[in-house]
Amino acid sequence: MQSFSYLRPTTSAEAVTAFAGAGEGARFIAGGTNLYDLMKLNIEKPGHLIDITAIKGLDRIETDGDRLRFEALALMSTVAEDPVVLRDYPVLAEALAKAASQQLRNMATVGGNLLQRTRCMYFRNGSGSSSNVGVYPCNKREPGSGCAAIGGLDRGQAVFGTSDACTAVSPGDWPVALVAMDAKIEVLGPGGTREVPISELYRLPGDTPHLEFTLEPGEMITAISVPKTAAGIHSTYHKIRDRESYAFALASAAVALEMEGDRIRKAHVALGGVATKPWRSTEAEKMLTGQKLTQEMALAAGKAAFQGATPGRQNVFKVELGARTLADALLIAAERKRS
Amino acid sequence: MTAALFKDRPRIDARDKVRGTTTYAADFQFPGLLYAMMVPSPIAKGTMTEISTAAAMRVPGVVRILTPADFPPALPPLEFPAQMALPTLEIQIAYRGQPVALVVAESLEAAIEAAELIHPTFSTDSFAAMMDSPGAVLQKSEDVKAGDAVPALARASTTLEAEYVSPTQHHNPMEVFSTTAIWADGRLTIYEGTQSSGAIKAVIARVLRLDPANVDVKSAYVGGGFGQKGGVQRQTAIVAYAAMLIGRPVKLVMPRGQVFHVATFRPKSTHKIKLGADAAGKMIAVQYDAAQQQSRDGQFRPEYHVAPSRLYGIENYLGTAADIRIDTQPPGFMRAPCEHPGCFAFESAVDELAYKLDRDPVAFRMANDTRTDPQNGRPLSSRYLNECLSQGAERFGWARRTPAPQSMTAPDGTQIGWGVASGTYQTMVHPTIASLRINADGSTYFAISGHEFGQGIRTAIAAVLVDGLQIEPNKLNIVIGDTTAAPQHLTAGSWGTFSVVPTAAKAVDQMRAAVSKLLEGRQIAGNLHRQLAAVKRPFLQVEVSQLGPGQTPAAFDALRRGDFAIAGPAFPEFTTMSYIAHFVEVRIEPRTRRIRVPRVVSIADCGRVIAPRTAASQVRGGVVWALGAALREGTEVDPRYGGFLNNDLADYVLPVNADIGEIDVGFIDQPDPLANSMGLKSLGEVSMVGAAAAITNAIFHATGKRLRELPIRIEQLL
Amino acid sequence: MTLHPHITLNRRDALKAGGAAVAALSFVENADMPANAAPPALPVIPANAVTVNTTINGESLAFDIDVRTSLLDLLRERLALTGAKKGCDHGQCGACTVHIDGKRVASCLTLAAKIEGHKVLTIEGLTEGDAIHPMQQAFIDHDALQCGFCTPGQIMAAVACVKEGHATSKEQIREYMSGNICRCGAYVGIVAAIEDANAKMGKS
Repeated sequence: MQSFSYLRPTTSAEAVTAFAGAGEGARFIAGGTNLYDLMKLNIEKPGHLIDITAIKGLDRIETDGDRLRFEALALMSTVAEDPVVLRDYPVLAEALAKAASQQLRNMATVGGNLLQRTRCMYFRNGSGSSSNVGVYPCNKREPGSGCAAIGGLDRGQAVFGTSDACTAVSPGDWPVALVAMDAKIEVLGPGGTREVPISELYRLPGDTPHLEFTLEPGEMITAISVPKTAAGIHSTYHKIRDRESYAFALASAAVALEMEGDRIRKAHVALGGVATKPWRSTEAEKMLTGQKLTQEMALAAGKAAFQGATPGRQNVFKVELGARTLADALLIAAERKRS
Repeated sequence: MTAALFKDRPRIDARDKVRGTTTYAADFQFPGLLYAMMVPSPIAKGTMTEISTAAAMRVPGVVRILTPADFPPALPPLEFPAQMALPTLEIQIAYRGQPVALVVAESLEAAIEAAELIHPTFSTDSFAAMMDSPGAVLQKSEDVKAGDAVPALARASTTLEAEYVSPTQHHNPMEVFSTTAIWADGRLTIYEGTQSSGAIKAVIARVLRLDPANVDVKSAYVGGGFGQKGGVQRQTAIVAYAAMLIGRPVKLVMPRGQVFHVATFRPKSTHKIKLGADAAGKMIAVQYDAAQQQSRDGQFRPEYHVAPSRLYGIENYLGTAADIRIDTQPPGFMRAPCEHPGCFAFESAVDELAYKLDRDPVAFRMANDTRTDPQNGRPLSSRYLNECLSQGAERFGWARRTPAPQSMTAPDGTQIGWGVASGTYQTMVHPTIASLRINADGSTYFAISGHEFGQGIRTAIAAVLVDGLQIEPNKLNIVIGDTTAAPQHLTAGSWGTFSVVPTAAKAVDQMRAAVSKLLEGRQIAGNLHRQLAAVKRPFLQVEVSQLGPGQTPAAFDALRRGDFAIAGPAFPEFTTMSYIAHFVEVRIEPRTRRIRVPRVVSIADCGRVIAPRTAASQVRGGVVWALGAALREGTEVDPRYGGFLNNDLADYVLPVNADIGEIDVGFIDQPDPLANSMGLKSLGEVSMVGAAAAITNAIFHATGKRLRELPIRIEQLL
Repeated sequence: MTLHPHITLNRRDALKAGGAAVAALSFVENADMPANAAPPALPVIPANAVTVNTTINGESLAFDIDVRTSLLDLLRERLALTGAKKGCDHGQCGACTVHIDGKRVASCLTLAAKIEGHKVLTIEGLTEGDAIHPMQQAFIDHDALQCGFCTPGQIMAAVACVKEGHATSKEQIREYMSGNICRCGAYVGIVAAIEDANAKMGKS
């Protein structure tokens, strides 16, 4: 790991100013569970770290009014146990609680987690770090070097949103739930503040897989807001992985159902573990609108969601697993009642 | 020998372990300590043509960088059967991850930064990364034969033929490789988590051209071994040499990604089995062809037939085995090394045959019992496998099982399966040398050959000493894993506790005799410490040593020079094996097909149980290992690159707490009458043997699907 | 605005700061430890230095560190608090678990610079004199360990698990203890120990 300068601003404005003043290679760091890890892997090599966790009052959780608002520095573990979130938006609570371990959720912030980088093994191995013994080319890590995952061990790779340059999965759980719930993020940068639908935060790899987010240099996420909806009650985040806990998703589904009697008035569906960005499934949402949810309908919606999948060699199973994961998520969500 | 049961007692070192005060190799503090970091080879095979360290040397804090140029040419390896040549830093690259340089710096941060600045150039050669890669070379080993299997199979009324695969897996003890070396006053002292401090002493002395008398190795506590720390580790001589060159203590804690590439591992293995039964349903013949992944010069033998050939009374057995040599680091012993893959395959085949014969899998196994070793016709010194099976069936509730696959599906569609499998593991013994000293001040010192890596060897020793002698238990100091205290053997293969307990018992007997001689019939109240004080003796000491059945004193010489000198399981008059029966329930989700293992019952015949609490923990650990081996773990190779892709604990999927349900453990606890004076047999390894098959057999019962390749992942049941 | 740009220290200052920090801490009691052992005062390369004011196991400390240093390496290599272990160095095993301001964290993924103004508790600080914590006693009673290497991390996680209220059932304990891998496979004992300690910690 190369050395870097380390700054600890105490207000958001100072943080943005510090970033602008730091010049090339500056990065914001919050919990650091991903950035510091990637620094140890020699993948991220910031010249300047601007630690934003000393900023006061950027970790509030607001649940009054017509939206939920989580400030960026609220911890994943805190938001996961917020009483209103737990009661009325299980999809959000579960997406947080099923991520990583309690230790990491106590460090990672809800803002920082939106920017977690892929767990593609070819991305994480191959930077000449002391930690890993990799030599693999990766367009995301080194633009133009090639993609070893395509034609390689691709069991964990994406089946949606891939390109000839990259098939790396967007690893998060929380972003998937937020995409399903039409969240927006508040961003502060040199040009002031702006609000962006979370779905617009993520880019598809295309031929520039190293560009993952739409944030401009020097911009930091300051808050996340989720419009309140009755669908929150009938919601879940269902996550299937290679072990029962403390693992990334093979397939996951964030589901929230706005019910009218026993019919679905509006469905919110997003998929994780299967796509290069948090994947909204409008196909499944359309099919479910106005329907009664039966096992058959749930499976049909799952199949519809994966109609356009483009798997590689070893990850073909994700198409079937993903469909069934979504089906189970729908059935769980429909059973949910306000406790 | 008294047949009284040993009582339940806490693990003797638990109090230190829960306070975090137990000192593992990387925990020792030394003034002037320097930090090392290894530079691994990025290529899989070839020659290093140039290595520039200039940029790395400019990193502030870097003290020295060792490259192959620093090392004298290697001496021929010692003639130890168990010890391979130990290379240092070399320009010839045999596998990806092979160390090419060692950076030594004032701080860990500087060492890492500098190591990442070293980018040698190489000329590369083509390489074989997989067993089926071009360039892989098959090498057959000797057949294992009993009776005449081929004609017996031809006359069998029912036969079963199937092929099974066990993947490459890595031990991954929580403690990574680490070495701290100190060179002072002409002595080299090495602190390292190892199962084999005696061999390190011998081999490092050889490599660094030192008199073994001037090399001390200390490994009092090992943070998990499982066989990975049984050999001499790749970094030890390099770190030790750095300490000698610089004249300051040097510590290396190897990143786990590098450990994946230099440590031994469980090689991938394939198992083709033909199994035949006669009309009465008795198994009469086995033809079993095994092959395993092997490095170009690796010596880990494909002994897949040791356990399956002795599990039942099958008269005709033909086992072949082969190494498939490719370009990798050498594989090696990993918990139940050949027995786990072998019994996974064999006990799957037995289950398949039982179904074919429409026999209950428990009753079928019990009907194939034996009193003799089918390999040599000698009597088994003790065998309670059928008792393990019947007691396990009782505890598990096997009688409530409906035999047909998919017959126990729950109303919500969850498929429930109950499976059984047996396991066996050889009982081997290593000579030991010990000294016992009881001091008048209330303390007791016992030093012996052996290493503690959590199996509870100290606790078993303490049980014998404390039960046998009136001593102050809280001031008992058991020194093991220390070449300055006693000659140290390789502690592995479940012979550790088996070898030290009878020696401890012998020390107890000799100490009692010495005390009674000293007291000459006087009756003195109080414990032995008070008795010594009363007769004004500061201490009383006895030296004892012990050989296994049939061993000659030459075995002591081997022990003293760091070689290994095991006997068993076929002793001159008898064969000694331990046994276990595992019963497993699996539950498989209707749609997403996650496999859960809510409960396991395991009953072991390990002879007499010396330390019941640590023994039960050993068995639970073995079951957790089997769950990992069956449902989670596999190390993956991209054949285009070699090395291991999933070389961390996020991508090499070990079982976590949420994966583990109830594990109910029982012991037959009947002393073996022949193997040694204390009646114990082996335990650590047998704990795992057969449990993977019990899981896959349960999956078959739940789903009707026979899965023959491990690990079983969710996609195989979709 | 309290920004800490590069701090220039001369080497002597750095050593002195390190020495002061260590002096304030009690040593890990261990018979095997050489009598002359002194924790190494890591030299701080000036360009990389940052000053940290913190509290570790109740002691207020101030010292300079290499800005890249993880909390785990600070504890182990600088302060001789070796209870927390390095099992992966990437937040994947839990052996390095300590508490910051009462919350369990992975010290290997915590930049040491981040403990500025915070309170750190390690396994060494859990024990008060000879009296061990009820969780430690429960780990002994249920043999919730084998090699012991992951144990300090397990216990720090377990204490937090109970305090968080995540020890109300076996299922919940298993889930909330899944961030701590035990390769020896002592999970059954760990769950039993936490159930036991949960009852006792609640009463005290």
